[in-house]
Amino acid sequence: MNPANYVVLAAILFSLGAIGVLVRRNAIIVFMSVELMLNAANLAFVAFARMNGNLDGQVVAFFVMVVAAAEVVVGLAIIVTIFRTRKSASVDEPNLLKY
Amino acid sequence: MEFISPELDYAALAPMIVVGVAAIISVLVEAFAPRSVRRFLQLVLVFTTLIGALVLVVLNSGMRVLTGGQSIALDGPAWIMQGTILILAILGGLLMAEGGVDPSGDAFAPRASALPGSEDERQFTIRGYLQTEVWPFLLFAVLGMMLFVASNDLLMMFIALEVMSLPLYLLAGMARRRRLLSQEAALKYFLLGAFSSAFFLFGAALIYGYSGSIAFGPISFAITTKAGENTLLLIGIAMLLVGLFFKIGAVPFHQWTPDVYQGAPTPVTGMMAATVKVAAFGALMRLLYVAFGGVRWDWEILLWIVAILSMLVGSIIAISQSDIKRMLAYSSIAQAGFILVGVVAASPQGLASVLFYLIAYGFTTIGAFAVISLVRNASGEATSIRDWAGLGKKSPLIAAIFSVFMLSLAGIPLTGGFIGKWGVFAAGVAAGDAWLVIVAVIASVIAAFFYVRVIVLMYFADPTPDTAAVVIPSGFTTVSLAAGATLTIALGIVPQPILDIIANAGVFIR
Amino acid sequence: MLKRPSITRGVPRAVNVYTPILVLGLLAFGFAAFSVILATFTGPKRYNRAKVDAYECGIEATPQPMGGGRFPVKYYLTAMMFIIFDIELVFLYPWAVAADQLEVFGLVAIVLFLVNLAVPYIYEWRRGGLEWD
Repeated sequence: MNPANYVVLAAILFSLGAIGVLVRRNAIIVFMSVELMLNAANLAFVAFARMNGNLDGQVVAFFVMVVAAAEVVVGLAIIVTIFRTRKSASVDEPNLLKY
Repeated sequence: MEFISPELDYAALAPMIVVGVAAIISVLVEAFAPRSVRRFLQLVLVFTTLIGALVLVVLNSGMRVLTGGQSIALDGPAWIMQGTILILAILGGLLMAEGGVDPSGDAFAPRASALPGSEDERQFTIRGYLQTEVWPFLLFAVLGMMLFVASNDLLMMFIALEVMSLPLYLLAGMARRRRLLSQEAALKYFLLGAFSSAFFLFGAALIYGYSGSIAFGPISFAITTKAGENTLLLIGIAMLLVGLFFKIGAVPFHQWTPDVYQGAPTPVTGMMAATVKVAAFGALMRLLYVAFGGVRWDWEILLWIVAILSMLVGSIIAISQSDIKRMLAYSSIAQAGFILVGVVAASPQGLASVLFYLIAYGFTTIGAFAVISLVRNASGEATSIRDWAGLGKKSPLIAAIFSVFMLSLAGIPLTGGFIGKWGVFAAGVAAGDAWLVIVAVIASVIAAFFYVRVIVLMYFADPTPDTAAVVIPSGFTTVSLAAGATLTIALGIVPQPILDIIANAGVFIR
Repeated sequence: MLKRPSITRGVPRAVNVYTPILVLGLLAFGFAAFSVILATFTGPKRYNRAKVDAYECGIEATPQPMGGGRFPVKYYLTAMMFIIFDIELVFLYPWAVAADQLEVFGLVAIVLFLVNLAVPYIYEWRRGGLEWD
C-alpha cells in the first residue's frame, strides 16, 4: 500500500483533532482531541520515515509518545483541580478572566 | 541497521547538565527533607545552581560547537541567550522566594491541591505550609529554555518546548490569592499550549516528509537542492511558526497572554514574561535562519503580517485595560511585534538588535512585575490601575522606579528600551523594511500613551482612600528590583559593553 | 560486543531458532506461577466487597448518574503514575535492539534514564501518593 495514504490519514486525523479542540466544551474531551492531534503527527512521522527510508521519524514517534504522556499527567492534574473546585469540567464555565 | 552512539561535548553541555541534575536533586529534596528545612534547602540549591550554571556559560562563551549528533548548537547567540535566561531566572527566582510581602506566606498557595475556600486550605494557611515544589518547576523550566535556544533539530526543539512549558502551566495555577483565577489561567494556558505544540509537531512531521531529516543542516540543504514541489515545506513552516508564535504571544496566537499574565502569581508572571520571550525568540530565529534561510522570501510575508498585527492589536487594546497585569500582557504582545521587526530583517544586524532588545525587555519586565507584587491592599495585590492613583505622593521611590520601567517599555531615551527599539528599527530599515518600521513607530507612539498614562496617574492624581500601599519587601525582592532598575538605566546610558559582547558572539553556526 | 549464541550443529535449525522463545515462555510461566503461589502463602487474606468487583480499582462498573457520579481523585494519582511508567518503558525496547552496538554509552544512558524514572516514583512514595486511604 502506498505510504502517502497514511499521510493523508494523518492529516485527516489531525484536522479532526483540531476541530474537536475548537468545538467541544468538556476540558477532558478537548484534551483528548489534542492527544489525537499528537498521534496524527506520530502517524505522519512514521509514514514519512517509510517514504524517506530512514529511522528518524520512528525515533521521533517514540519521543512524542513520552512527551504526550507527560502532558497527560500535567493536564489531568490541572483539569482535576478545576473539576474539584467547580464540580464541572466545562471549558466555558471558567470565565472570570476577561476584558 | 547501524546504530552509532552520539558524540557529546560534555564541557559545552555542562551548564545544562548542572541545571538538569539540580532539578532532579530538587525533587529528591522534596521527597526526603522535612518540611521545616525544605524551603531553605531549595533556595540554597536553586540559587547555587543558577549562579553556577551562569559561571559555566560565561566560561564556555568562546565555544562554537555542534554536539549530540548535530542536535544541539552552542554558538555565540546561544551562550548569550542562555546567560540572559539564567540571569533573568535568578531575578525571577528572587521574586518567587519573597516571603515577607504577603502576611500569610509567599506568593504560592500553601497546598495547590487543597480546594479554594475549604477548611483544609484554611488549616494549611494557619500552619504556614509552603508549596516548595515551585523550585523544581523553576529549574526544569530553565533547563527547557536553555535547551530551546540551543536546539538544532526539530525533535530537540519540540522536547525543549515541552520541558519549558509543562512546569510553567503548573506554576501559573498556584497563586495564593485569587485561586480560581489562577487555576483558570493554568487551564487556558495548558489547553492552548498543548494545542499549539500539536501544530508545531505536525509542522515538524511535514518538514521531515519534505526533507527526509529533522536536523536543521540537512533541511537547509534539501531546500537549496530540491527544486519544484514545496507545498509540504511551506505548510510545514507555517505550522511550526504557529507553535512558536504562540510561545512569544504574537497576534493572532495571543489569546492566552492576558489571562495567564493576570491569573498567574505575579512573581511567576514576571519570570515567565521575561524568560519565555528570550527562549522562544531564540528558537524562532535559529529555526528561521539556520533551517529555512533558503526560503526567506516565503516566510517573510508571514512575519510581516504577524508583526504588524501584534504591534497594533497589542498597543490599541492595552489602552482600554483597567488591570495593570493585563495591560502589561497586551504591552508584551506589542513588544513581541516590535522584536519581530528585527527578526524579519534576517541579517546579522537584526539578530544583534533582537538580542539586545530581549535583554533590555527582560530586565524591565521583571522589575515591573516586582513593583506590582509590592503594591497591595487588604485583599492582596492591587492590580486595578485606579488603585494606583496618587502612588507618587504616597511612595515616591517605588513610583519613580516603576516610571523608569514604563519609560523603558515605551522606548524613551536614556533607558534600555530606547536602545533596543532603535537597534531593531535600524535593522529593519537597513533590510529594506521601511514600511514595517513606519508602522512600528506609529504603534510605539500609541503604546507610549498607555505607559505614560500610568505615570501621570501616579504623579498627577490625588491619592484616594482606595489607593494601595507599598509593602516593604525583604531582601529578595529588593535585590531583584534594584537589579532590574539599575540594568534598565545602565543599558540606556552605557549600552556599549553589552553591544560589544553581542557583536563578538557573531551569528548562528550551521 | 556480545556474541550471539551460535547454532549447534546436528540439531534441526527450526528447533534451534525457537528454543530461546520456548525457554522464555517457560520462564514467564514459571515466574507467574511462582508469584501466585508465593502470594497465596505469604500475603494477607482479607475479603471485602472491592475484591469481587469487576474492576478492582474502587470504581463501580456501572457509574452513578451523570453529574452526580464522582471519581475518587486517588484514582487519577494511580492512573497518572501508570501512564508515566507505562510509556516511559517504551524506551527500553529500542535500546534493547541496539544495545550491543551502543555498548557502554547505551548502557549508561539507559541506567541514567531509569534512575531519572525512579526519582518521581520516590517522590510520590515519600509524599504518600501510594497510600490508598
